[in-house]
Amino acid sequence: MLLIDQVVKRRGSRTVLDRVTFAARPGRVTAFLGPNGAGKSSTLRILLGIDRADQGRALIGGRPYRSLREPLRTVGAMLDGVGAHRSRTAWSHLAWIARTHGIPRRRVREVLEQVGLAGHAGVRVGRYSLGMGQRLGLAAALLGEPEVLVLDEPVNGLDPEGIRWIRRLVRDHADAGGTVLLSSHLIGEVAGVADDLVIIANGRVVRTGTLAEVTAGHGDLEETFFALTGGAPGVGR
Amino acid sequence: MRVGNVILAELDKLRTLPAVLLTAVATVGAAAGIAAAFAAGDGGPGAAESVTDVTLRMVPYVQAGLVLLGSLPAAHEYADGQIRATLTAVPERGLLVAAKSVAAATAVTLTAAAATGAGAAAAALTWWRAGAPPAAGGGGGGALLGATAYLALIGLLSYAVALLVRHLIPVLVGVLSLVLIGSPLLAAVTAHARWLPDRAGSQLYAPTDPVLTAATGGLVLLVWTVAVGVGAWVRFVRADP
Amino acid sequence: MRYGRILAGELHKAATLPAVWGGVAGALLGALAVTLLNSVAARAALENGRAEAWGSTSPFENAYAAMPLTVVGAVVLGVVVISSEYTANRADAGGGRQIATTLTVTPYRIQVLAAKAITVVVGVMVIAPATLLVTVGLARLVIGGGAETVSVTAAVTRCLGGTLYATLTGLIAFAVTVLTRSGILPLLVLIMNSTLVSGSLLLTKLTPLAHWLPDLAGRRLFGGLDTVDGGLAPLPGAIVMSGWTLALLVIAGAVFSRRDA
Repeated sequence: MLLIDQVVKRRGSRTVLDRVTFAARPGRVTAFLGPNGAGKSSTLRILLGIDRADQGRALIGGRPYRSLREPLRTVGAMLDGVGAHRSRTAWSHLAWIARTHGIPRRRVREVLEQVGLAGHAGVRVGRYSLGMGQRLGLAAALLGEPEVLVLDEPVNGLDPEGIRWIRRLVRDHADAGGTVLLSSHLIGEVAGVADDLVIIANGRVVRTGTLAEVTAGHGDLEETFFALTGGAPGVGR
Repeated sequence: MRVGNVILAELDKLRTLPAVLLTAVATVGAAAGIAAAFAAGDGGPGAAESVTDVTLRMVPYVQAGLVLLGSLPAAHEYADGQIRATLTAVPERGLLVAAKSVAAATAVTLTAAAATGAGAAAAALTWWRAGAPPAAGGGGGGALLGATAYLALIGLLSYAVALLVRHLIPVLVGVLSLVLIGSPLLAAVTAHARWLPDRAGSQLYAPTDPVLTAATGGLVLLVWTVAVGVGAWVRFVRADP
Repeated sequence: MRYGRILAGELHKAATLPAVWGGVAGALLGALAVTLLNSVAARAALENGRAEAWGSTSPFENAYAAMPLTVVGAVVLGVVVISSEYTANRADAGGGRQIATTLTVTPYRIQVLAAKAITVVVGVMVIAPATLLVTVGLARLVIGGGAETVSVTAAVTRCLGGTLYATLTGLIAFAVTVLTRSGILPLLVLIMNSTLVSGSLLLTKLTPLAHWLPDLAGRRLFGGLDTVDGGLAPLPGAIVMSGWTLALLVIAGAVFSRRDA
């Protein structure tokens, strides 16, 4: 279970996150929805210990990320694309990550097959298309067979087959009892797969609840989204 | 998380980064070439220099390669956002810096040793082919070890600066300007220039200074490196990447 | 597309590039620091009557000693003006490189390259003399104008010579970076070559032909004392160095216009 509790983050004079609070429960897919610049990535970076919150806490199973002894075995994260150096091969990238946790090489081969990159493992990441890069990021998240998946805009750049594959992966993971926190600004994608919703705009959580609760009275999710986020403040940010 | 694994992972990163291998090979090659050039230029019967002397003359040139090599382990993390993958895999930052430092130290030491060895071999080979036996003595193995230590420490200093600064070009320009331009200019002005990292460190292989010995000179260079390293460590552990 | 606009675009790009300002600031501050130290020591030598031991108490000479730093600044400018086009954005921002934008806006590649080269020239020709002016001023302030031994004509000539050397070196850095797409190698080589650990100087031990290499050919543009024998006189040297620069620019242009961005 993931808990974000009253998190505040300031950058310079801007308050990027203003007492953001929500939870992602096991066995459910929690979608983190918001316009560009709303604070989704900032929240996830704090959850994963990359940035520091000015106030509040972000916990995974009751503990901060930085205190996890082998984080990749608990949380599989896919943040902002690949994170692999462009002159390295996909295999080498996954290999060093696996090595930090003592994960065997065999597992690297498995995840590459699972995401469909087995044939491109020896290619330099710099030549990857956007979709291939996303798959590599996902492969890195799956390496440790974690129970929690934290995915930031996972379908970005994927073709329809890839999108369907992610939807299945995420659904199966939750159905097996795992926790999934998925951030996106693609309403259609989210509507098809989410159980719980957290809608954020301008650094504040404007609504949380199940899909049914949140969309009650607004019609479909798109209507709800625009109603709650007050139009499209993300454009032009 | 086992320290050994994290260190091995950092070494994996260096091993699989083409720029690292390229720089190491080029540095060793340059060392051999430059030492051979010195030997060919000044050799001949009655040459007053030993293999060691000639090898030591290539050190100021070859240090540039070590400066580049040392800055790669840290600087490459900040290209393409790899730092995020690194921090999610190893969130304990103190451990990460320690492991990365061990890996960087390994890389620069191996390259420094290979460069010194290649330089000595090339010089000896050049003289042997010219039929001119070199003079014996001239410091021998001790000076060569000192040269290796100097090159490794300069590489480590670069690593510390790169960890602090996070961008490759400013590190290269800054460290090289200091060592190659600033240092000689300052040395002409004041005797206190002996406390500059590269000047003090050069006592390791060319002990000419009245105040610093080889050991104390090397120590001064080490202190500089540790000082910058501490600053880099603090920034890395406490600040957002 | 009018050429003036292309040129204006490139000048604006360079003027808004933090790396350019960093290089300029670094070179200027470094030159000031060196000049200050030299001047203080020269003044002390003057006052203690040890002027001979110090070398030169001329404010001009003490400021001019910092020229290598200006050359480094020129190299940084030459490198950064083109390497900034090839720095990739983060993958999540599309992984694109500015070169694609530049070439879509202005598909005439030679003109783009020429505009960049002109930017480098303008930059160095403004900053090098300005730096020298400021540092000589500082030196005169510290040492006092009375100790000047260099005539105004000689000073102006040497300033022009040094500026020409820096400009040509900056252009060489630019051309090589166009070819290699990464600034690391030109930076390393060119910085080293403007110091005592010059690779070119090393080559002169093997063959006198090395005196025809651009940095050695042009070194007498600095005037003043000659520390290394052999090689070309100032004017032939300048011509040889310019020839090298032109040749490298032409090669860079040919390669740039043919290859994929």
